[in-house]
Amino acid sequence: MAGKYTGPVEQIDNCRWRIPRSYKPAMRVDGIIYADSELMESILLDQSPEQVANVATLPGVVGASLAMPDIHWGYGFCIGGVAATDPDEGGVISPGGVGYDINCGVRLVRTDIPAQEARARIKELVDTLFREVPCGVGGTGKVKFSQKELRELVTGGAPYVVARGFGWEEDIAHTEAHGALDGAQPDCVSNHAYERGLDQVGTLGSGNHFIEVQVVEEVVDAQAAAAFGLVPGHIAVTIHSGSRGLGYQVCDDAIKELRDAPRKYGIELPDRQLVCAPVASPEGQRYLGAMRAAANYAWCNRQLLLHLTRKAFAQVFGSPAERLGMRQVYDVAHNIAKLEPYEVRGQRRTLCVHRKGATRAFPAGHPEVPPAYQEVGQPVLVPGDMGRASWVLVGQPRAMDETFGSCCHGAGRVLSRGAAIRAAKGRSIQQELLRAGVVARARGRSGLDEEQPEAYKDVSRVVDVVHKLGISTKVARLRPIGVIKG
Amino acid sequence: MAAQRYELFDHTADVGVRVCAPTLAELLGPATAGLYAIIGRLVNDGREAESRELELGADEPALLLRDYLAEVLGLFEMGRRMVTAVDVREFSQTRLTATVQLQRVDVAASSLEREVKAVTYHELRIWPVADGYEATYIVDI
Repeated sequence: MAGKYTGPVEQIDNCRWRIPRSYKPAMRVDGIIYADSELMESILLDQSPEQVANVATLPGVVGASLAMPDIHWGYGFCIGGVAATDPDEGGVISPGGVGYDINCGVRLVRTDIPAQEARARIKELVDTLFREVPCGVGGTGKVKFSQKELRELVTGGAPYVVARGFGWEEDIAHTEAHGALDGAQPDCVSNHAYERGLDQVGTLGSGNHFIEVQVVEEVVDAQAAAAFGLVPGHIAVTIHSGSRGLGYQVCDDAIKELRDAPRKYGIELPDRQLVCAPVASPEGQRYLGAMRAAANYAWCNRQLLLHLTRKAFAQVFGSPAERLGMRQVYDVAHNIAKLEPYEVRGQRRTLCVHRKGATRAFPAGHPEVPPAYQEVGQPVLVPGDMGRASWVLVGQPRAMDETFGSCCHGAGRVLSRGAAIRAAKGRSIQQELLRAGVVARARGRSGLDEEQPEAYKDVSRVVDVVHKLGISTKVARLRPIGVIKG
Repeated sequence: MAAQRYELFDHTADVGVRVCAPTLAELLGPATAGLYAIIGRLVNDGREAESRELELGADEPALLLRDYLAEVLGLFEMGRRMVTAVDVREFSQTRLTATVQLQRVDVAASSLEREVKAVTYHELRIWPVADGYEATYIVDI
């Protein structure tokens, strides 16, 4: 449909590009894209820079409309976008700035299992995970919740399911916001959303969601890696999923409710997917309440996925998860909006930070960083593709000055799903991965084709940009050896 | 007269559907088929269909199309029901009323490939062409 970006873009330095505020009369701030020259060439091939400019028109937007180096074309907001608005200056909240998969995020687990031991059992391990973890379209959770319990779950978040035996107390301490956002409003979640999410707690889903068994292949920052428990040559596990049907429906309901809000509040929008309302408005508050409930659901979902993963490992290695050292390193959201304090022009302000395909990246000493990581900073989890690598980074002070405490969230797609399927024609992606040392299982026929490594940018190149910028720095590179997908 | 048809088009992480039909009302059939084609290959269970009345209001036809597709997606997501026929009584600028025939999806006989999160508003358009109407919509995968 849409072609290349044809608007203005100015290079600031080796890692930053500006879309000047003068591009569109409605832009209130500049757009800033973080990328090196090679990444920028591919970014300009679609309309994602236009979306960065569009977000810069939102009322109350502060600083700049930002895009991480894994930016790609989304709907309304680009994927990889960060936008902070000031509620005290009429700042808005936009469901499109969070996305349909509210609190889609990543959870990383470390283990004491040496790679050679895991490689010897990797087929059995992946098959066991594939059997034990509900995934794919229509997968239903193994743990059933009543309607009443679901309302308690969206209020209580991860601690609610841990209290029921699905995890360890220490998992909570190593989860963003302790796995539960205050201010969740179960009454703001529609019956439709509850129905859609009722039997999906503890399911992986499809699309780009996965569980990956990885080897800690390279440690760059020994101090941070030691704090995170990452040992070279040992196994780690990454879980990527979100709020399933409940979150999708919360977003859909909110956008529908907000369709008239721009007219009501006199907001001109360049794209109706950007619908929004002032944070302080009744509509904005209802969305915040529902979004927080969906975020809590997502943390419960990943908590149950971790529980099932630990069970699968215990079964295959014949030892309890505790003895395998399967401690959670961290769980972080990359589709969320949160009220966070920042310094703006010398004043302390509480901003509404939208992260759509962007990961929180708080530095050492930040009160929201777990005690065990206070000296080093928050783990920033950046999954790549299932053939090359994923990265663990650590948040740095510059992120607080430059990106509202945010960093990239992944590699970013370069091929559309259709193009990936065409590129896979006549090939077996599963066999290619196997030859590269990765055992992969997927429910759908097209899942592996659409998610093949070539469909993504090289995550190491993406990570190089944020490392050079100093918003997060490299801790360890993880190499996949097994993956399950929906 | 434009034939009723749909085609899928690429969008970086998601999938788009382009639809054409002789009338606004006739857009709904191929728009529904396009949505199902993204989900996979759906087979109904062959049992007697149930009817469902839909009454939708919005500011413009494109929003009515999106809201109709959101209903269709909801019926699939919650209860695995698929629309096998749609009888449109009114598709005006602001109102859509229709009766849809629903049958259960035979999950075992179907091939479910993709989970559609939502029908988005991005690139959502209906426009007149010489022999009818065309429309586009993008779903989030």
